[in-house]
Amino acid sequence: MENSRRHFLKNTCALVAGVSVYPLSGNNAEMEPEINNIKYALLHDESKCIGCNACVEACREVNHVPEGVTRLSIEKTGPFGEYPNQYYHFSRHSCEHCENAPCVTVCPTGAAFIDKETGIVAVNADRCVGCLYCIAACPYEVRFINPVTKTADKCDFCRETNLKEGKQPACVEACPTKALVFGNLKDPESELVARLKANPTERYKQSLGTRPKIFRIKARQGEIIL
Amino acid sequence: MSAFHFDTLVWHWPIAIYLFLAGVSAGAMFFAVMLKHGCLKGKAYQSGFVQAACVVAAISVLAGLGVLVLDLTKPLHFWKILVFYNPMSVMSMGVIILMLYQVFMYAWIVITFKQPIDDLCKKRLPIVGKLTSVIARYEAGITGLLVIFSVSLGAYTGFLLSAQPHFPMWNTGVLPLLFLASGLSSGAAASLLGGVLLKGNPNGAEVRFIHKIEIPLILGEILLMFTFFLGLVFSGGQSKVAAFNAIGVGFWGFIFWFGIMGLGLSAPLAMNLFMTATSKRKFSYVAGTACLSLLGVILLRNFILYTGQMTVS
Repeated sequence: MENSRRHFLKNTCALVAGVSVYPLSGNNAEMEPEINNIKYALLHDESKCIGCNACVEACREVNHVPEGVTRLSIEKTGPFGEYPNQYYHFSRHSCEHCENAPCVTVCPTGAAFIDKETGIVAVNADRCVGCLYCIAACPYEVRFINPVTKTADKCDFCRETNLKEGKQPACVEACPTKALVFGNLKDPESELVARLKANPTERYKQSLGTRPKIFRIKARQGEIIL
Repeated sequence: MSAFHFDTLVWHWPIAIYLFLAGVSAGAMFFAVMLKHGCLKGKAYQSGFVQAACVVAAISVLAGLGVLVLDLTKPLHFWKILVFYNPMSVMSMGVIILMLYQVFMYAWIVITFKQPIDDLCKKRLPIVGKLTSVIARYEAGITGLLVIFSVSLGAYTGFLLSAQPHFPMWNTGVLPLLFLASGLSSGAAASLLGGVLLKGNPNGAEVRFIHKIEIPLILGEILLMFTFFLGLVFSGGQSKVAAFNAIGVGFWGFIFWFGIMGLGLSAPLAMNLFMTATSKRKFSYVAGTACLSLLGVILLRNFILYTGQMTVS
């Protein structure tokens, strides 16, 4: 009796441990899009950005984003340099469409998912229950609760709107200085790939292993900041 | 920066309450099993402490889930969490743990209180006696699985937070162990408090048994707390910033040093040692010590929840 109980406990422990560790194996392979001909990414040339916020307003209009929240914002820092050579830095704050997205990993219902055909990180509003886990987990702080639908919301490269109609994302279309370049990383002929190859670019918080797909060309520093 | 309102705050105090209640439930069930099998055997149902542990475990896990559901932005859609699963998600795994835990918890309670349940239903519902006998046949397995799932539940509350790369203070492997240890000790405290309130003998075998486990548990908690913060400091970068933000000067620093380390850990440790050394176990001592332990764990959950979100990666 005693012996069989011990065996039982031992086996159960092994089973529970195995079951709980199993999903972690092959982590990256599972998140890799299966169909590999399209992988959308965005380049923000910060040296061209003038901080006009046309992209923010276009996004709001096209994607019907309610007031008080936004999928996209332009963060302004500065001024840098000395008068009269002063300027601001502008950086885009929106979903980074991570290849290894923490929001997708933590979402309990699968409402946050990576679209395998395009590599876009998207939200299935029907599945979302509003637990806020994705909002807490996202290292880029780009997710929010849409006050109308009460579900998690964020940039999806206009997957449901402009992209469906064969157009460029609203922010890209609206940019007056062509600071935004949207395209397919898998297409060597695209302007995006050409620009990425020709310029040094930066991606945020790469040390976290999220593999974000928003690339940035930095503006000149203007002064030394440690 | 205000202690309860800041830009990077996503999860508010209801989550801390939920983490606390889940930990209490897991700990109370763990100690109920330990009391029955290590101390009382077949007479467990007569003990006020086992009764209290079962009542506390059953109510707190339901209350915790209630808080969790009400805290969703779409509470009426909570059933989707039960229908759709993501094997990569800690929360999804937690839902499975919580459901299975409750099944084994109720089964174990039925087995432990088989005698009074059978007596109650003998005349009117004799079928209940047959059902309890069937369940009781699997007592060994149910007990084993209950212990495993209660420990899993205690640790899960920590893994829920540590799975987030956004907050470096949470993103560490020590947090689940810390939450497990403090969850177990809060369960012990809740059982002791409920037990003496249910007319259990404050100098009974159960109290002595629990104190024997509780003292090393509190020492372990202090060690884990030390490892937790030292680990953060040695990780450098934002982890180090997070650690010093949390336990440095300020509201949360005061909560940590006075509320958690002082009232929540040192005072109960001293009281438990005193009660063990002098064998003076009065109602007021046992109840007071248990209240301090519970206060400490509630403060710890809030402290970790809020300070963890103050510093981002």
